[in-house]
Amino acid sequence: MSDALIRVQAADFGYGKTSILKGVNLAIEAGEFLGILGPNGAGKTTLFRGLLGLIRPMAGSLERGATRVGYVPQQEKLDPAWPLSVLEIIKMGLAHRVTKTDRANAHANLERVGLGDRARATFSQLSGGQRQRVLIARALMGSPEVLFLDEPTSGVDRPNQMLIMKLLQELNDEGRGPAILIVAHELELLAKPATGALWVDEGTVTRLDKEKFAGGSGIEALFEARHKKVTS
Amino acid sequence: MIAELTIGGMPFSLIWELFGYSILAALVCGLAAPLVGSFLLVRRTGFYGITLPQFAAAGIAFGFAILPWWSQHFGDILHPVDSGDESHLALGYHMQWAGLFTLVGLLSMTLAARKKSGNETGIMAAAFAIASAATILLAQASAEGDIFISSLLSGEILTIDSHEFRLLAYTLGLVAIGLVAFRREFTQVSYDPELARVLGRKPLVWEGALMLAVGATVSAAVMTVGPVVIFGLLVIPPLAARGFAGSMGQFLLLSSLIGGLSALGGVWTSFHYDWPLGPSLIAFSALFLLPSMVGVGRK
Repeated sequence: MSDALIRVQAADFGYGKTSILKGVNLAIEAGEFLGILGPNGAGKTTLFRGLLGLIRPMAGSLERGATRVGYVPQQEKLDPAWPLSVLEIIKMGLAHRVTKTDRANAHANLERVGLGDRARATFSQLSGGQRQRVLIARALMGSPEVLFLDEPTSGVDRPNQMLIMKLLQELNDEGRGPAILIVAHELELLAKPATGALWVDEGTVTRLDKEKFAGGSGIEALFEARHKKVTS
Repeated sequence: MIAELTIGGMPFSLIWELFGYSILAALVCGLAAPLVGSFLLVRRTGFYGITLPQFAAAGIAFGFAILPWWSQHFGDILHPVDSGDESHLALGYHMQWAGLFTLVGLLSMTLAARKKSGNETGIMAAAFAIASAATILLAQASAEGDIFISSLLSGEILTIDSHEFRLLAYTLGLVAIGLVAFRREFTQVSYDPELARVLGRKPLVWEGALMLAVGATVSAAVMTVGPVVIFGLLVIPPLAARGFAGSMGQFLLLSSLIGGLSALGGVWTSFHYDWPLGPSLIAFSALFLLPSMVGVGRK
């Protein structure tokens, strides 16, 4: 077995007794930057949650080589009623008691996402783009080998979308940083940084290489074919 | 010579001698209950703060209703022949029913909330109405129960003795220390349970611990200070503090501070105007809602 960060073999993923994805085979290697793409309702979130370990495979196997995982949820899932400071949000990214070193890391990670001056601000009062960058800084607290991001550019204006993708590209550092798995709808945003994509449709997962994906035409053809199937 | 402090014409030394435990109980509740209420409020389960104390009161009333049967089988709890420690026994008896009913109510409401049927608020309101009616009906089954429950419901807390105070102080003290010490863990599993799972935490265990803290606080407080005081202190101080807190740490601190000041203000108001202590405390705490009502504080 190669030293894949995550290896999935003949796995079915779903909820209850209903499997949504069947016979998934894939390996996530160190330094990869993969988009998880597909039509609405095709099972992108199911794959994402499966790889993240939030749901177990109903059949087959999932092996984790990576022990440190970072997670960036959709910010809409987080209740704005909580009076949490940016620093409190960042420290949430740790599973252990906060140490002096962690406090220094929290500030360093905030600097890294360009929000070093907002440590004492209230999280819910930040703009959507700033909140997303704080959540990325939080995910970095555990020095992850794989970073999972669930639609980090949704509900964010264009300049902030570009900023977030640029930040992720810098973190990935051309494969020297953590592997990145990102659910996204904006294909053009992924074209530059991503090294490939996982196309989810009709219960299957297909890996697309950089050439097919980056040009955009391959994805467009897949979307087009899907659209025809639904409407014909 | 320094003049002695008097409230409502009564020397404070005499007030302390006669009602010291009641004043301390009000202060303990004022400082600790808002910590529990803060978590209930931000988890959008503030209604628990109103409904659960009513479940506890129904439990106490149920205990009185079955007292003849209980005494016949397990001995006289309220008037033991061979024991000089009757208050302790009675307290334990009331506590078991208050605790049991609170836990049943808590479990039922948690399960209803997990179903996400959209009727959660309605279910809690119905539970409150049913528990209130059950409290009154069950209390009427015994004369002693009727007097005890009337006193609890009116918030007349001046008769608290050392046993009741110790039960309250130990329970709420433990809950407060636990909530403050593990506030990051409780916050994480409540705010972002998926992240908690990714990091290897067990949200169900932490949720269970939080619910246990809520149940213990409500049971012990209803037994001693009554449902009105505890549901007021669970809800009002956090609501007043919410608009002024920029972090969870500040929120907990401010809530507790407002609760503590409400207790002290309530004691003063009660003795100055000769009002019942419980309602005076809640009326005083309501003053802290004024700034947020007129738009002062954070958005």
